[in-house]
Amino acid sequence: MSVPYPDIPEGLVAVDAAEAAVHMHVDAALYPLQAVYGAAYVFLDRCYVFLDRPEPGRIRVTLTARGGQADAGALRALIGEFANELLSCAWRHQITQDNRVLLETVTMQAVAGAMGAPSLDDLASFDFSDQGFDDPLGIAMSWEEKHGKKPKPPGEVAP
Amino acid sequence: MTGADWIDLRFHRTLYAGEAVDEAVQRYRRHIECELREHPEAWHVRLRALRPELTVRVAHELANYALGLTVQRGGPTP
Repeated sequence: MSVPYPDIPEGLVAVDAAEAAVHMHVDAALYPLQAVYGAAYVFLDRCYVFLDRPEPGRIRVTLTARGGQADAGALRALIGEFANELLSCAWRHQITQDNRVLLETVTMQAVAGAMGAPSLDDLASFDFSDQGFDDPLGIAMSWEEKHGKKPKPPGEVAP
Repeated sequence: MTGADWIDLRFHRTLYAGEAVDEAVQRYRRHIECELREHPEAWHVRLRALRPELTVRVAHELANYALGLTVQRGGPTP
């Protein structure tokens, strides 16, 4: 039988005393799946964790006490700690996303620096004619190339 | 999950990696009888422990193992 906790908004958490389990519904728009994974992984050695998706956009996390016995207070503490861990993981995930470009740039520079400066042989054999990117709008062209006087076609008479 | 003779575990495909579920089943294979089925939305594992009093516990452990492997793989589609 599922009984909600009075101090938690209705519909989010329910305890099943007979199964020594507590269920929590997680909004996938608020908590990314990687955050749910991170929190669940932390709790794998403390309890049994099961994930389900009862409807799109929601994940149901079920925590079951090891040994099959736990009172309502212990289950309340368990789901409370899980919720805290979930929030922490979601925040860390957000920080990682925000700093991804910075991390990749720093890592790239560190790796490039560790490789050392190119030797004269490397520079001599480097193919500078290789076009690294397409430039259909002519952004990389110089002002003279783009707007300078164009040579007259042969045979045209000047006015 | 219930304490009945057989237990049905339903691993949603968007949450669990199929390889992780397979590996978890193989891990506990010598302790259980099981049937595996693929459904459009989930991997179904129907199992019963060789020692019936351990069925619920083995099912929980298998599910934990499958989740742990899924997380280590980075999700259902790494």
